[in-house]
Amino acid sequence: MFKIDPSQAQQTVTVLLDGKHKALPAGMSVAAALLGAGEIISRVSPSSKKPCSPHCLMGVCYECLMEIDGTKKQACMTEIAEGMVINRNFTDEEDN
Amino acid sequence: MSHHDVVVIGAGPAGLSCAATLAEMGLDTLVLDEQIHLGGQIYRNVESTSAAQLDFFGEDYAQGRAIVERFRKSNAKYKGGATVWQAEGDGTVCFSCEGSSQQITANYVVIATGAMERPVPLTGWTLPGVLGAGAANNLAKEAGLSPKGKVVLCGSGPLLLLEASLLIKKGVQIEAILDTTPLIPSLSALKHMPRALLRTDFLLKGLKILWDIKKSKVPYLRGVSGLKMLGADKVEKVECVHKGEKVTIPTDVALLHFGVIPNTHMMRQVGCEMHWNPDLRYWHPVCDKWGRTNHDRVFVAGDGSYVSGAVAAGLKGELSGLEIACSLGILSTKSRDEMAKPISNKITKDKHPRPFIDAMYAPRAGQFAFENDTVVCRCENVTVGEIREVISQGAHDPNEIKIITRSGMGPCQGRMCGSAINEILASELEASPDEVGYLTIRPPLKGVPLGEIAAMKFSEASGPADLFKNQK
Amino acid sequence: MKTTDIIVIGGGITGSATALGLVKEKAGKVLMFDSQLPTQRLSRANFGLTWFMCKGGGSSTYAQWCRNACRQWPEYAAELEDETKMNIELEWTGGALHAFGEEQLQAHAASVEKLTGICGEVGLDYPVSVLDRQQFSELVPKMQLGEDVSGAMYTPQQGHVNPLKLLGAMRKAFQLRGGEFIGNQNILEIIPNGNTVTVKTKDEEYSCNKLVVAAGHGCERLLFPLGYKLNVYPQRGQLLVTERCERKLPFPLLAVRQTQDGTYMIGLSTEDVAHDIRVTPQAMQQQAQNAIRIFPELASVNWVRAWGAIRVMTPDGAPIYDNLPNHPNIYVMALHSSVSLNPMHTSVVAPWILDGKNAEALSPFSNGRFNV
Repeated sequence: MFKIDPSQAQQTVTVLLDGKHKALPAGMSVAAALLGAGEIISRVSPSSKKPCSPHCLMGVCYECLMEIDGTKKQACMTEIAEGMVINRNFTDEEDN
Repeated sequence: MSHHDVVVIGAGPAGLSCAATLAEMGLDTLVLDEQIHLGGQIYRNVESTSAAQLDFFGEDYAQGRAIVERFRKSNAKYKGGATVWQAEGDGTVCFSCEGSSQQITANYVVIATGAMERPVPLTGWTLPGVLGAGAANNLAKEAGLSPKGKVVLCGSGPLLLLEASLLIKKGVQIEAILDTTPLIPSLSALKHMPRALLRTDFLLKGLKILWDIKKSKVPYLRGVSGLKMLGADKVEKVECVHKGEKVTIPTDVALLHFGVIPNTHMMRQVGCEMHWNPDLRYWHPVCDKWGRTNHDRVFVAGDGSYVSGAVAAGLKGELSGLEIACSLGILSTKSRDEMAKPISNKITKDKHPRPFIDAMYAPRAGQFAFENDTVVCRCENVTVGEIREVISQGAHDPNEIKIITRSGMGPCQGRMCGSAINEILASELEASPDEVGYLTIRPPLKGVPLGEIAAMKFSEASGPADLFKNQK
Repeated sequence: MKTTDIIVIGGGITGSATALGLVKEKAGKVLMFDSQLPTQRLSRANFGLTWFMCKGGGSSTYAQWCRNACRQWPEYAAELEDETKMNIELEWTGGALHAFGEEQLQAHAASVEKLTGICGEVGLDYPVSVLDRQQFSELVPKMQLGEDVSGAMYTPQQGHVNPLKLLGAMRKAFQLRGGEFIGNQNILEIIPNGNTVTVKTKDEEYSCNKLVVAAGHGCERLLFPLGYKLNVYPQRGQLLVTERCERKLPFPLLAVRQTQDGTYMIGLSTEDVAHDIRVTPQAMQQQAQNAIRIFPELASVNWVRAWGAIRVMTPDGAPIYDNLPNHPNIYVMALHSSVSLNPMHTSVVAPWILDGKNAEALSPFSNGRFNV
């Protein structure tokens, strides 16, 4: 859904995403880093049970709410960091 | 607990300029900003972005550099990643930063929370792949990301067209621009035309954007209605009605934009008096010319008080700074007025095209369709139909709709559904949105872990011994 | 002037339950007026407990009243849900009051003994036991107890409900049975005329045979001109709500409950601050600390909403159900804990208002009991 401009020199960090190690671009929010890496789905809505993707990227909509280092945070307002533990808590059948 | 002359909330053009003005006069000024980097939305990441990016986003973006540089030199204190979750009219502010919360106090508080895109519920707007056009802009500035695959832009307003022209420049595959602006401009727009002509530079910029779009041969459909986002697990196509015919366009990404409105959540929690503007169809705080609200110690600066764009926002921030310095006894009223004069003149000049642009693009009552099956509250999955049902059962207050349907109770606290509930209720009761009122906003403005609250330290009342605490 | 049989002023939990009782008893044409005063809608700040345990230590009639109300709840809820096809989210899974340290646990045991006796006097059961830490822990297997928790007082026979859904369902049932709900009505004046009462609203004048005033702290303003001084005072309660979490807590505690959608509600504070409804960080902190002391894992859960609301408190904590000595066709209801007592308002208070039934059971709750 998104691609990173190749002219942007990228450093990466390694995070634990849903239990798996993953290299993501550094120097940006968790939401932007995940979108840049093709991870479109941010969470499964607890009310509609449907997958969501980030919508506003400025801290308003809460569609990018995910568990980051043990508490639910807005991924678009949280800077990605080495060793971060990120859980989007998809259930098995909703995983994609 | 720390105490400051001024706490400024928000580090966009208004907050940064206000803080710089105050700190340059020696006042203890702290800026709290919830974003990772300062600059707000418009100047997002301007401090550390590449030369190529600066060039790409043009002069309007690059202007942010000067504001940021001035702020950095001013000795104002700055905390990024700091989320204010409660503010009070007496100058008390609670915020969360790096996993801990604290309460601080200030002689004056400046709310500079800026604007946000107007959330307009449409069928399918909750599907993955449907984003705000502003979101795409933010991702580009912050991370150099651009949409991949097919893209459709939908909505109305100059920023929609600006974003379209930027994406065209990037070589993004735009399938169509679906413009919902009514084809016949309102009479009031024409009335404001002569004043707008005073700023030919501004109008030429607008014409350049339209020319870029035309040159690109991207289909630009005007006067469309009945927008729907369709797809199973993600957006697959956008449907609309154009010249009486249904048009369906396959896409991977849909970008929505329906203009910007002040982000007033914090002002409502503080208890600032709010005013409904029927022409622009949004709420803004009631402020005097300095940005002072009904709470003596609380100011609102920038687009949060009234949307007038980045340049005016910075200038309004400076005006608030001058009045606060005057209230604190640092400036005489005479110096304040003299210093304010050139700033006010610049604001007047900057504002010339505004009434015309506003009248061109302002939504009209009843313009948004609000279909019954459309989700209004994204967090709690509440539809327009469910809201209409409780209204038909006698609900007449947005808060009553909230308690019965849960709309506005989710993590976003009604930021995404508040204005739509306001519009739907008003239209059902054949009243205006200010007659039916708005959701009550209480703390916390944003969620905070219980453990953080539990660990907070509140200051004890100071005793006589404190008077001598600096003397050995 | 419009005429009607009965008017109920107040569309909150108490007014709605009573109005529903009236239309069920075929009281004729019943109107319910509601006005959204920001401080006077307690259901918004209600904790949603349907609870009798440890209530009424200072008033045996109140203890018995609470126990009776609770016994009626499951059937009441089933009937309301059946009639309205709405889910009010009643969970009849029990309830507990935690204890920190041995002393509190002993106090719990004394309370159970006392209230068992009080309920026994009128042939009521009091199915409450005191659990040690191990027994309590076994009842909440998915939660880890904090180290200070010594045990709990527990009953399997109470529960919790969604008070907002309850309010919506009662309003709907009232309307389905022919009652008329009129929102956004500010009452300007009540004028007694012997056998009838005139109610002036901002839009209209109504004449009725009987009037029920169930307007929370709004009662005082309406009744004072009639020479009636209601013995109530304001008491602030604050509560906080968290984000949705995996459902782990099988039944509510007095201080913490988890709703059907997974949010934790944490409360309640009691403060004497007159009519100040503000939410204070200090109260949020105390409640957060208390909740974490019971269940340490709550520390990482986000707090997302809070309320302050003003309870209608009486000197002995029990409700006031009364009619005015000089105007016996004007009734007043003033109380807190309206959700727990809800079935009594529909099934006991409404018939009393309509034709004087149950007068003996209700006489201990007169406003006059405080005028000695």
